[in-house]
Amino acid sequence: MNIRLVLNLLGRLLLVDSAFMAPALLIAVLDGTPDAAALGISMGLTAAVGAMMAVVRPRSDTLRPREGFTVVAMTWVLVSFLGGLPFYFSGYIPSLIDSFFETVSGFTTTGSTILTDVEKLPRGLLFWRSFTHWVGGMGVLVLSLALLPRMGGRSIFLMRAESPGPSPGKLVPRIGQTAKILYALYLGLSVLMFFVLMLCGMNWFDAIIHTVGTAGTGGFSNYNLSVGHYQNPLYEVVIGIFLLLFGVNFSMYFYLFRGDWRTVWKNTETRLYFGMVSASVLLIALNILPEYSGFAESLRYSFFQVATIITTAGFGTADFNQWPMFSKIIIFILMMTGCCAGSTGGGLKLIRVSMLFKGIKREIHRTVHPRGVSVIKIDGRALDEEIYSSVALYFFSYMAVIIIATLIVSLDNFDFESTFTAVVACFNNIGPGFGMVGPMGNFSEFSGLSKIVLSICMLLGRLELYPLLLLMSRRTWTRH
Amino acid sequence: MNIVIVGDGKVGFTLASYLAQENHDVTIVDQDAAALEKASETLDVMCVRGNGANVRTLLEAGVDEADVLIAVTTNDEMNMVCCLAAKQLGAKYTVARIRDPEYTESLTVLKDKLNIDLVTNPERATAMEISRLLRFPFAINVETFAHGRVEMVEFKVEEFDPIANMSLITLHQRYPGVLCSAVLRGHEAIIPDGHHVIRVGDRMHVLGDIMSITNFFKNLGKDTKRVRSAMLLGGGHISYYFAKITAGMGMKLSLIEILPEKCRKLSEQLGDEVNVICGDAAEEELLEQENLTQFGALVCLLDRDEENMMTGLYAVRRGVGKVVVKVDRPNYVDVLSDMGLNSVVSPKLSTANAILRTVRALARSQDSAVVEKLYRIVEDKVEALEFTAKEGAPYLNIPLSRLKIRKGVLVAVLVRSRKIIIPFGNDHIEAGDTVILIARASSIGALEDALGEGDRR
Repeated sequence: MNIRLVLNLLGRLLLVDSAFMAPALLIAVLDGTPDAAALGISMGLTAAVGAMMAVVRPRSDTLRPREGFTVVAMTWVLVSFLGGLPFYFSGYIPSLIDSFFETVSGFTTTGSTILTDVEKLPRGLLFWRSFTHWVGGMGVLVLSLALLPRMGGRSIFLMRAESPGPSPGKLVPRIGQTAKILYALYLGLSVLMFFVLMLCGMNWFDAIIHTVGTAGTGGFSNYNLSVGHYQNPLYEVVIGIFLLLFGVNFSMYFYLFRGDWRTVWKNTETRLYFGMVSASVLLIALNILPEYSGFAESLRYSFFQVATIITTAGFGTADFNQWPMFSKIIIFILMMTGCCAGSTGGGLKLIRVSMLFKGIKREIHRTVHPRGVSVIKIDGRALDEEIYSSVALYFFSYMAVIIIATLIVSLDNFDFESTFTAVVACFNNIGPGFGMVGPMGNFSEFSGLSKIVLSICMLLGRLELYPLLLLMSRRTWTRH
Repeated sequence: MNIVIVGDGKVGFTLASYLAQENHDVTIVDQDAAALEKASETLDVMCVRGNGANVRTLLEAGVDEADVLIAVTTNDEMNMVCCLAAKQLGAKYTVARIRDPEYTESLTVLKDKLNIDLVTNPERATAMEISRLLRFPFAINVETFAHGRVEMVEFKVEEFDPIANMSLITLHQRYPGVLCSAVLRGHEAIIPDGHHVIRVGDRMHVLGDIMSITNFFKNLGKDTKRVRSAMLLGGGHISYYFAKITAGMGMKLSLIEILPEKCRKLSEQLGDEVNVICGDAAEEELLEQENLTQFGALVCLLDRDEENMMTGLYAVRRGVGKVVVKVDRPNYVDVLSDMGLNSVVSPKLSTANAILRTVRALARSQDSAVVEKLYRIVEDKVEALEFTAKEGAPYLNIPLSRLKIRKGVLVAVLVRSRKIIIPFGNDHIEAGDTVILIARASSIGALEDALGEGDRR
C-alpha cells in the first residue's frame, strides 16, 4: 500500500470538499443565523485536515487498484464525518453518531433522516444537508477528476471504484474529459430543473433544495411532509419526470448530444427501465384506485411514488404504508432493483438484473443442450464471462450484506417489516422503507449501533461493496 | 488530436503511452481483452474491443472524427484494409505498418490506391538505423532529415579532440558546412549561440549534409573508426534491407544464414559484394572460421533474443569493434549496456519512434507550414522540427536577421531544391523550402510565433 499517495490524494479531495461548504456558509451568513459559526468552523477544519494531508509528497505515483479503492472508501468516510460536524457544532443534532448518519445519508443520496422535525433547522444547515446529495450523486471523486490537474492514466481506478454499475467506462479517451462531460450534463439538467420549478412558482430556496435532492436522487426535503407539503400536482409531475431523467445512465445523454438516437433507443437497460416504470405506475394506480377519488388522482400518487422509489430518491407525497399489499410489494421490488447503472440512483441496477436473467436463460439452455455454446449478449455485444460472474457474485454479496445487517439491527427488537426494510432502504440508498421507517416515519428510534450499521450499509450500497470491503481487509494494508 | 490505434501489441501500446502523455485523445482497438485491460488500467486511453477492419468497431472507436489512424496489427493485409476503411469513414491521416517486402515493392501503388499516408516498415527502419550506427560508430545517435539529405549526429567530445575548448564561431568558420544545434552538458540542454565554448564531455549534436558531416569527422580524426566490413547473422528481412541500403557504400558484408533455400534466394537477390554463408550462426567455430575478428562490426539479427545477446557478448570479448544486437523485447537494455552491448536495436521501438515523429509533427502543423517530422533529442529536452514553408506564409523572403525569431529557437538548416544551406542573417526562407528548426521541447506552439515578422514590431 502506497500510503503517502493515498494521504496526498485524500488531502486534495478534502480541500475540494471544504469548498462545497461555502454556499451553505454564505446562506447562513446572509440569514445571520447561528449555524454560520458551525459551518465556518467545519469548513476550516476540513480544509486544515486536507491541507495537512496534501503536503505529504508521495514517493511514487503509481496508483494501483488497491490504492484507488482505498482512496475512494476513505474519502467517503472522512467526507461524511467532517460534513456532519456543522450539525453537531450547531447543536441541532446533539449526537455525533446521528450527525454522521445524517451526512452519510446525504452524501450517499439515501435521504433517510433521524430528524423528527426538519423544519426547525436554519436554512444554511438545510442547504448543506441537501447539497451533499448533489455532490454525492455523481461522486466526489469524479468531480475531483474533472477539477484537479490530471492524476495520470491510472486514475481510472478512482472512477471505477466510485461509479455505479458492473463495468463503468469512459465516454471519451481522457478521464478528466469524461468527468467534465458527466458533470456538465449533471449540472445542465440540474439548472434546467431549477428553472422549471421556479417557473412553476416555487420559491428559489425550495427550488434549489428539491433540485439537488432530485439530481442526486437523494430525497431530503426541507419539509416534514416532503413534497407532499405543497399538495401541488404540478410540482409532483415536474419532480417525478426529472427524477426519472436522473435515473437514466448519463452516457445516454452523451449519445443524444452526439445525435446518436439509435444507441439510446436500442439500449437494453433504458428500455427495461422505462418498461418497468410504466408497468408499475399502471398496476399500482389500478390497485390503489379504491382509496382515492378517481383514476387521475391514483395515477398521480402512483406515478410519483414509482418515480421516487425506482430512482431511489425517496421523496414522499403519499404514505404507501397504507396501500394494499400488492402495491407495497411492487414498490419493494423497485427498491431492490433500483435504476440504471451510471446514473445517480442506487440499488442493484437494472443492467445487473437483466444480465442475471439472461444467465438463468443460458443455464436452462445448457441443461437442454449439454454441448450447446451460448454467449450472453447485452446490446448486441458479447458479455465478458468475467463480468458476468462478478455480477452473480455481486448479487450474492448484496444479499449477504442485507441479511447480516438485518441481524444486527434486529437487536433493537422492532417489528420485522421495519427492521428489514430499514436495512434495504439504507443499503439501496432509498430513504424510506415500510412500517416505522415508512414515508412518514424516520430513523430516530434506532440505537447507536444500528445507526452505525445502517450508515455503513449506505456507504456499502453507494460504493457498491468492494471499496469498503477492501478497506476492511488486512491484505490491503500489508506490503505484499 | 483524436488518434485511433488499431492493434494493442508492443508498438501500439508504446505509441499509446507516449501519445496519451502528450495530451492526445487516444482510442485503442484490439480483439484481445487481456491486452486492452492492461492498456485501460495503466494509460489514460479509451479501449474498444473488436476487429479493426470492421466498420462498426471503427465507428465505435470514433474513426470518423479521428485526426490520425495508426494500424499496427501483426497482419499487413488487416492494416491496409483498416486504413482504407478509416479513410472512407473520414479519418484525416492514416498510418499502416507493412512489413512484407513483397508489398514494399508495390508501395507507391498501395499508398496511392489505398490512401495510406504513411507506411512504416519495421525491418527497413531497423536496417536504416543499423546502417547509421555503422557509418558513425562513435556516434551515440544519428537522425536524418529531408529524406536523408541532412544528418544530425550526436557524439561525445573526447579529451584530445581538436574542437575541445573551441568556441562555436571558430568552429563554424573552420567547418562551414556543419552546425552545432544542441549540446547536452551534464543534464542541462543548451541551444548554443556563437559564443558557446565546447568542453570535453559535452554531447554535441551537429547537423549538415552528408559530405560536410563526413569531412567534419574525418578532420576530427574519428573517421578511422569507420566500419568497412560487417558480419550479419541471420538472413531475415532486416539483413536483406541492410544489404540493399549499404550496397554501393563500399562495405564488405558476410551474411550467415542457416537455411540453404534462404541462402540461395539471398545470394540471388543481393549483389556480389555480399558473401552469403550457409551455417549455424550461433556456433563459435563457424564464426572463427569466417574470421570474425577481422570484421569491423558484427550485427546479430537472429530470431531469438538470447542467441543475439550471447553471440554479441562473445564478439565483444573477442574484440570486435562494433557489435549491434537486435532485441525484440527491449526490457533489459540497461543490463545489456552494462555488459558492453551499447548498440541495441529493436524493430518494434524503431517503428514506434518513426510513427511518433510523424504524429508529433502533425500535431504541430499549421496553415502556413506542414511539419513533416518532429524529433525529440537531448533527453527529450529539445525538439528538431522539419517543415515545409508554404506559399503565403508571413515569414517568407525576409532576411532572418530581420525576422523576430523567438529566443531559444534556432533556424538550423534550409533545403532549397536539393541544395543545403546553413543559414546566416542574410539568408531568407522561400516558399517550398524545407526548414529545420531547433527549439526547446514544446516551446513553440505556433510556428508563426517562432518566426514572427520583425518589421512590424
